Amino acid sequence: MKVSLNWLKRYVDIDVPVEELCSRMTMSGFEVEGVEDLSATMENVKVGRIIKIEKHPDADKLRVCQLDVGGEEPVQIITGADNVFEGALVPCALHKSKLPNGTHITKGKLRGLPSNGMLCSGEELCLKEADYPGAEVYGILILKDDCIPGMDMRDVLHLNDVVIDFSILSNRPDCNSVIGVAREVAVVLGKELKLPVPSYRTSGGNIADEIAITVEDYDLCPRYMGRVVKNLRIGPSPDWMKDCLRAGGMRPINNIVDITNFVMLETGHPMHAFNLNDIRGRQIIVRRAKEGEQITTLDGREHPLTPEMLVIADGEQPSCLAGIMGGLESEITAETTDLFLECAKFKRDNVRRTARALGMRTESSARFEKGVDTIGVEYAMERALQLIEELDAGDIVGGVIDRNDGLPAGRSLAVRPERISELLGVDVPHDEMVRILNALEIKTELRDGVLHCDIPYFRDDIEGRADLAEEVMRIYGYEHIVGTPMNGAVIRGRKLPERICGDKVKELLTAQGMREISTYSFITGKAPDLLGLAADDPRRQAVVLLNPLGEENSAMRTQLAFSMLTVLSTNLSRKNPAGRFFELSKVFVPKSLPLTEQPDEVPALCLGLYGAEEDFYTLKGIVEAVLALCGAEAEFVRSDEPYLHPGRQAKALCGGEAVVSFGEVHPAAAARFGISERVYLAELKLAPLYALMQAQKTVYKPLPKFPASARDLAVIADSELPIAEMEKAIRAGASGIVEKIELFDVYQGGQIPAGKKSVAYSILLRAADRTLTDEECDEAMKNILSSLEKIHVFLRQ
Amino acid sequence: MRTQLEQIKESALRELAQCGDLKALEALRVGYLGKKGQLTAILKQMGKLSAEERPVVGQIANEVRQALEAAIAEKQEALREKELNDRLEAERIDVTMPGKARKTGGLHPLNIVMNDLIDIFQSMGFDVVDGPEVETDYYLFEALNLPKDHPARDMQDTFYLGQDLLLRSQTSSAQIRVMEQRQPPIRIVCPGRVFRADEVDATHSPVFHQMEGLVVDKGITMCDLKGCLEQFVHEIYGPETQVRFRPSFFPFTEPSVEVDVTCAECGGKGCRVCKGTGWLEILGAGMVHPNVLAGCGIDPEVYSGFAFGVGIDRLTTTRYKISDIRLLFENDLRFLEQFR
Repeated sequence: MKVSLNWLKRYVDIDVPVEELCSRMTMSGFEVEGVEDLSATMENVKVGRIIKIEKHPDADKLRVCQLDVGGEEPVQIITGADNVFEGALVPCALHKSKLPNGTHITKGKLRGLPSNGMLCSGEELCLKEADYPGAEVYGILILKDDCIPGMDMRDVLHLNDVVIDFSILSNRPDCNSVIGVAREVAVVLGKELKLPVPSYRTSGGNIADEIAITVEDYDLCPRYMGRVVKNLRIGPSPDWMKDCLRAGGMRPINNIVDITNFVMLETGHPMHAFNLNDIRGRQIIVRRAKEGEQITTLDGREHPLTPEMLVIADGEQPSCLAGIMGGLESEITAETTDLFLECAKFKRDNVRRTARALGMRTESSARFEKGVDTIGVEYAMERALQLIEELDAGDIVGGVIDRNDGLPAGRSLAVRPERISELLGVDVPHDEMVRILNALEIKTELRDGVLHCDIPYFRDDIEGRADLAEEVMRIYGYEHIVGTPMNGAVIRGRKLPERICGDKVKELLTAQGMREISTYSFITGKAPDLLGLAADDPRRQAVVLLNPLGEENSAMRTQLAFSMLTVLSTNLSRKNPAGRFFELSKVFVPKSLPLTEQPDEVPALCLGLYGAEEDFYTLKGIVEAVLALCGAEAEFVRSDEPYLHPGRQAKALCGGEAVVSFGEVHPAAAARFGISERVYLAELKLAPLYALMQAQKTVYKPLPKFPASARDLAVIADSELPIAEMEKAIRAGASGIVEKIELFDVYQGGQIPAGKKSVAYSILLRAADRTLTDEECDEAMKNILSSLEKIHVFLRQ
Repeated sequence: MRTQLEQIKESALRELAQCGDLKALEALRVGYLGKKGQLTAILKQMGKLSAEERPVVGQIANEVRQALEAAIAEKQEALREKELNDRLEAERIDVTMPGKARKTGGLHPLNIVMNDLIDIFQSMGFDVVDGPEVETDYYLFEALNLPKDHPARDMQDTFYLGQDLLLRSQTSSAQIRVMEQRQPPIRIVCPGRVFRADEVDATHSPVFHQMEGLVVDKGITMCDLKGCLEQFVHEIYGPETQVRFRPSFFPFTEPSVEVDVTCAECGGKGCRVCKGTGWLEILGAGMVHPNVLAGCGIDPEVYSGFAFGVGIDRLTTTRYKISDIRLLFENDLRFLEQFR
């Protein structure tokens, strides 16, 4: 809300510097977002009277002017304009002056003759016709006769003002008005608020003879007031009103339109003026639009209307979008003679929806959306009529039509002051509470130890004790709140088990040299295609955003692989030679689509690696470490994840459930992410792993009492035989005493027959209850070999 | 024989003096004291001596043997030490060459900051809870005193997923879920991810992170709120940092405040970072609105509470002086590796 300081001063005596006003308002809940000193735009530009004009001896188009600028000596300024004449009053930018467009003017010489400044055009002073008459005329701006040589142009143009931009909190719609802000200023500065008291005379007659008003939809329009003004005398508004409007960000147009805008800025109540003679059937009907109706608004745009939209219609068709914008047809023009003036309360949600649906936002709709009060409608109307009389803009017809479905009754609250202090933790003196609340126009009396408060009609936000506490405290001053330690029993803060598990997994991964990443939870809807997921893959069932920022952020992710591949791609494209990454996040699994209830938010972990030292097995090593941390007994089997290399991927089964799938990324899938290097990716389901981790109980196992024997074993096997099968056979062959099987070589080619591989193990044998003899070990190795022979694995000769 | 013994001793000690390494020393020891050594050979002839001479020569021989053994042991010690010193000298390396560290990983900066906050509040007795990111209109708005079409709903542009289902735009929704499930005393924080339909730029991200705090008990005051936040601020920004309350509005707290801290950059004198005010806004807070308490079945006449919400991303970018919030979500390794 932009407010002119001069305008505020009409209602409050402000005797502190602007900086202090701003900081005190900020600390009472009205943050100042900006301060614009209008006078700073222009410096050392004075009114001058041209005493004499001579032709420049060396230039046909230049004129040498002698000017009276209020000093003892005339000042010589050379101009190229030809509309100047002796006796004219003109704006002179003197030596060392500054213009609103940023230009600095200094004295100089033009074709050999000194020129001590510059005569200014309206354009050079950034003026429009509405700002000053003649401002848009080509040439030097000729000033009105009321100017005196030597006057500061800022005074002529009313630029000695400061515009303060207050941020109005959404619970204070009453302060979207100069009076609302002035009321706060008065309280903060401890001054009296002086509001205009509307009074005017009517020229007789009765509105009932002019127009009829019907409100069909009180649910959307709880109050509608109308007045009629005849014999309009349309013309420009006085300077003071124009200055106020400009400071508020509005352009002056004519006295009638300006009055409606001025009253809106002053009271917060939007008003609308109709050309009375354009209202067909001389009747106003406030109703929902009918299907198929349309309206052309003041801005020339045509809008189709729907029955959700409230309109002000005449006897035939809509002539105004209620609370948003008037219709072009009933616009006030210079020729308008009779006027119907509207001031009303429209329901904020309806105005909001209609304005959004039609893509419109006006000063009026903004105020209705934030909420205007019902009672104040009358004051705004009275104020407008007072200004019509004051500006002699027309003759006010007697009588008012006020349609409403019952005005809100006054509300009262009774609160014990101790209860306010209890909430704040500060003992505000009770008489101070009374003083503050009364200053805010909350009429308050302390009777029998209870504060009896009458809530003013414009403070719908005050509902109870907490609201009164806030009102007291923001004026009393938050600096009185002094930090205290909380009372109560000493309690221990706990984390959820899932968070504890997640932290342990992260700790393990960072120890493995992995970097945590953070990516958006929503991704492109094309992700399943980029990953190559099958048509019936459940991960295609994604929750989609109804209002996404763009297609690339439109679907809640059902997997983390897409985001990880994107990050790997980014890092590769930035020439980072190697990387290990992980992301622990939620994926969103809908129970049904379209979405009718909250989806499951499932914790997942994604690992991604690349670089010269990475391969399938380095990734598997990390996966195994995570599984080991969780105490998961896993069986690794081949898998068929479409975005992974068909020969280099596996899944880990824990109790029959696949908890991980991992492997080298399929080159075709990688290419779709712009990746040509080998990259490795794993995606883990965390819920089952967390469950295992929590069930895990670590119990100490005694260290072995008897020595172990190490035996090496080199065998030849079919090259397709999985190592895991061989290890199973080894364990089966000497159950109970195989402590550890260490694979130390796998070799193909050379002397090894085609289709075979040579595999070498170091096997550690140990019994818990005795030292194994050589004979026992030999026997065990024999058994192991015969067990291996069953799967066609033979000792390498 | 005596002379022989003396000669052996002399020659042995002479050779010993010249002996330069442990191998030569061992050869020397074997040469004199070994089974076939010179001294041993002499002792073998002892039998030929008379009964009178035998003990005398025997004693001398013993003395010679002991003297040689002692001398050899001493020499051995000296040589061992020399050999060790030589080896250590030979093994000198350039200690300024780079270490062969295995790369360590690390957490994302957002989670480093988040964990710091969790630690601080957990140590102050706050339970750390979690809430769903897809919320219902009821938990995100209605129960937080924001009825449908309340203008304050416009304060934040929310992503919609379906009828009454949306991505949470604030972690405050977790307050309601906790208050529905627990009775006071309640002391929780809820860290998590939130979403708003903000176009991406250097200071805005549609995905960001917050930590909500909630305390409900008998007799909780606004001074407790300030005390709690002061402890947190002192941990994060240092004990000299001051906290200021400024009136504000949130539908679910009353009174509501913006919380400012003295600018860490200039210490409150005013600089570019704080736009000359000396203060930085870090979070919003307030006393839990009586309607919110009542809606969760907690009697506002008996209990009171406070709530606050901290933006983690902002805290992260200011702590590490990260100029562009987009860096947090780009995950360039060179960026990530800077945080530990």
